[in-house]
Amino acid sequence: MAAGPATAVLALRGIRVSGRDRPRLEDVDLSLAPGERVALLGASGAGKSTLLAVANGLLSPAAGTVLWEGQPPARSRRGRRRQQARIGTLWQDLRLIEELTVQQNLNAARLARWGWPRALLNLLLPLDTEACAAALRAMDLDPALLEQPVTALSGGQRQRVAMARLLRQEPTLLLADEPLASLDPRLAAELLALLLAQAVAPRALLLSLHRPDLLDGFDRAVGLKDGRVLFDGPAARVNAALLADLYGGTPPGVTA
Amino acid sequence: MKPASPLLMLLPALVLVPLAVLLPPLVHGGGWELIGDFALAAVTPSLDPVVLASLLKGLGVTAGMALLGWAGSLVLGLVLGACSSRTVWRTLTGSGVPAELIRRLLALPRAIHELIWGLLLLQLVGLQPAVAVLAIALPFGALVARVLSDLLDALPTANLEALRAAGAPAPAALLTALGPALLPGVLSYGGYRLECALRSATLLGVFGLGGLGTDLKLTLQSLEFHELWSGLWLLLAVMLALEAVISLLRRRWLVPGRFVLARRGVGERSREMLLTLAALLPLCVLVGRGLGVDPAALLHWQLLPGLGGGDWVATFALPWPRLVGGTLLLTGLAASLAVGLAPLLLLLVAPVGWARQGLRLLWALGRLWPPPLSALLLLFVLEPGVITAALALGFHNLGVLGRLLLESAESTDPAAEEALACGGSGPRLALLYGRFSALARPYLAYGAYRADVILRESVVVGLVGATGLGSQLLESLSSFAWDQLLALVAVYALLTLVGEDLSDRARRRWLAAL
Repeated sequence: MAAGPATAVLALRGIRVSGRDRPRLEDVDLSLAPGERVALLGASGAGKSTLLAVANGLLSPAAGTVLWEGQPPARSRRGRRRQQARIGTLWQDLRLIEELTVQQNLNAARLARWGWPRALLNLLLPLDTEACAAALRAMDLDPALLEQPVTALSGGQRQRVAMARLLRQEPTLLLADEPLASLDPRLAAELLALLLAQAVAPRALLLSLHRPDLLDGFDRAVGLKDGRVLFDGPAARVNAALLADLYGGTPPGVTA
Repeated sequence: MKPASPLLMLLPALVLVPLAVLLPPLVHGGGWELIGDFALAAVTPSLDPVVLASLLKGLGVTAGMALLGWAGSLVLGLVLGACSSRTVWRTLTGSGVPAELIRRLLALPRAIHELIWGLLLLQLVGLQPAVAVLAIALPFGALVARVLSDLLDALPTANLEALRAAGAPAPAALLTALGPALLPGVLSYGGYRLECALRSATLLGVFGLGGLGTDLKLTLQSLEFHELWSGLWLLLAVMLALEAVISLLRRRWLVPGRFVLARRGVGERSREMLLTLAALLPLCVLVGRGLGVDPAALLHWQLLPGLGGGDWVATFALPWPRLVGGTLLLTGLAASLAVGLAPLLLLLVAPVGWARQGLRLLWALGRLWPPPLSALLLLFVLEPGVITAALALGFHNLGVLGRLLLESAESTDPAAEEALACGGSGPRLALLYGRFSALARPYLAYGAYRADVILRESVVVGLVGATGLGSQLLESLSSFAWDQLLALVAVYALLTLVGEDLSDRARRRWLAAL
């Protein structure tokens, strides 16, 4: 594989995922270059979550190829885990471990690289405090929160901790499934800015979004409709007509 | 330095360290060949029709004893449970004090293991089918009564007060306001007790009270391993079928599972529940006929010889500290083994899908396999003593705890585990961090309850010798030393009650953060 400077962080070709009555994804091509920030648009059920599940390896497509940094999914269990460690996902439901502290949650992102001794020690002692504090600071959080249980945090703080955990994993591919859905507009814009600031080469970001008004910081937008790519181009070129076509009516989120 | 919850769950497994040191000197190596034969016989059980017919007959007797004992315990438990409920007494008489008194009295039958009940009744009324039935019904009834009265007193009483204020008579108001809310909890607990009754009936058989347990013990003692395994596989089939039916009914009726102690079930199709219960009545009568249970025969008591002029000096001279210490050590070892090994084994097999099924089978065998039989089997290669007994008791309870843990792991939210696996952590660490975090507290709370059960149960492995109160009790029983027996039962009961109190406290502490 030619690993030139422009090897795509993620490359999907001819992806097809079968569904119950119609394919959930059909013939999807998508490529993310290092440093690229791509927004995924589309109505509910258009296939955004399915596409992200293929991109993070949770779902194997029925047809098509997935390449992460130019490599197909590794066959060996160890190789596959090394690959997965470089894919960071920001889940819509955050998936923090409620019984653990902030620091233990941040360090959980290192489990792929740690062996058993450190994984167990993390449950007993605060490990890598400096790196964890840095991750919190990058998300505008007070490092004093490290010792708090995550149950003690506010909704906004939880969101930021989940993003800090993503940084702590040090992935090259950042994936996010509607991470801003449940936030108020100001906080959503603020957190999105923080996330976009992290997506610099060699990293790339793919984020599904249901509010076209937040497209500003993105390089590219990809529109999905009924499992197919409707358009793929510079984010600045997304206009009302395109959105109307995408959502089949008035674009959502404009009034929200 | 406070260990986080998933780590707490693994701490009991540290008991393996002292065991690894203490176990090798106990191996006398005499019977490895026998153990090999026994293991091989698992895949070549005897298919001889005569053997199978006799085993099936024994299985029928065991199942019948379990059913009758269980039904008796439900009836007894409902009556006594109502009698020991503060809400009931307060509604009927205005004062909750008698409830407290009855509740304390009921602690005694509850604290004595069904095996002790069985052996005592055996001495009193001679060998008859009703002995096993009664031995199960008495302690189980007291247990059901406690759970029932706890459930009753935890229910909100607003409905009840509203009905009373509208002039409804007390009994009718109680039944209308509390009955429907109580039914799901009672059925869920009752179902679990039926599984316990089947295990107990088998165990009582091992001590000569009839049924499949007796057959199993005889085949083991005569080293007829092929026939032994035929019996075990039959018992396994019946036990798994029973567990499947009960969990099916639980899901159908939406009654709460055993593990999620904090959550209350909603309960649906209450008419169907009642009809099922009603259908059990004629079934019990038929089974009673079939077994030849004769309640009148229970009235012919043989008087205990020599209880009046007991040798209390000799009783007092028993090595009490050593007996109590041995019992506690046995309980601690067995409980740590059972509580600690279940999560450890689940972690070990996590990467291999089919291994989980193997574990499920192993645990099912552990549940049905009476601990005294595994103890006897272990004696082929180990010296008798506390550790041998603890291994046998631990294996049995591992079966109970392991199943509980696996079922609850499979029914909790997979999101966190999935997220970790997706980030590249291996299946074991994803399980540990992602699932065990949430399960640790309820699991340990259940483990505390189980430790108390194990303390009560420690008598059943007394026959391997030198295990403390249990072995002394069986010895005193076989030498008809009634004075000693009385003292031993009293000490046992006292220990169990203290243990119950401690485990209740531990449980409340573990669950407080939920």
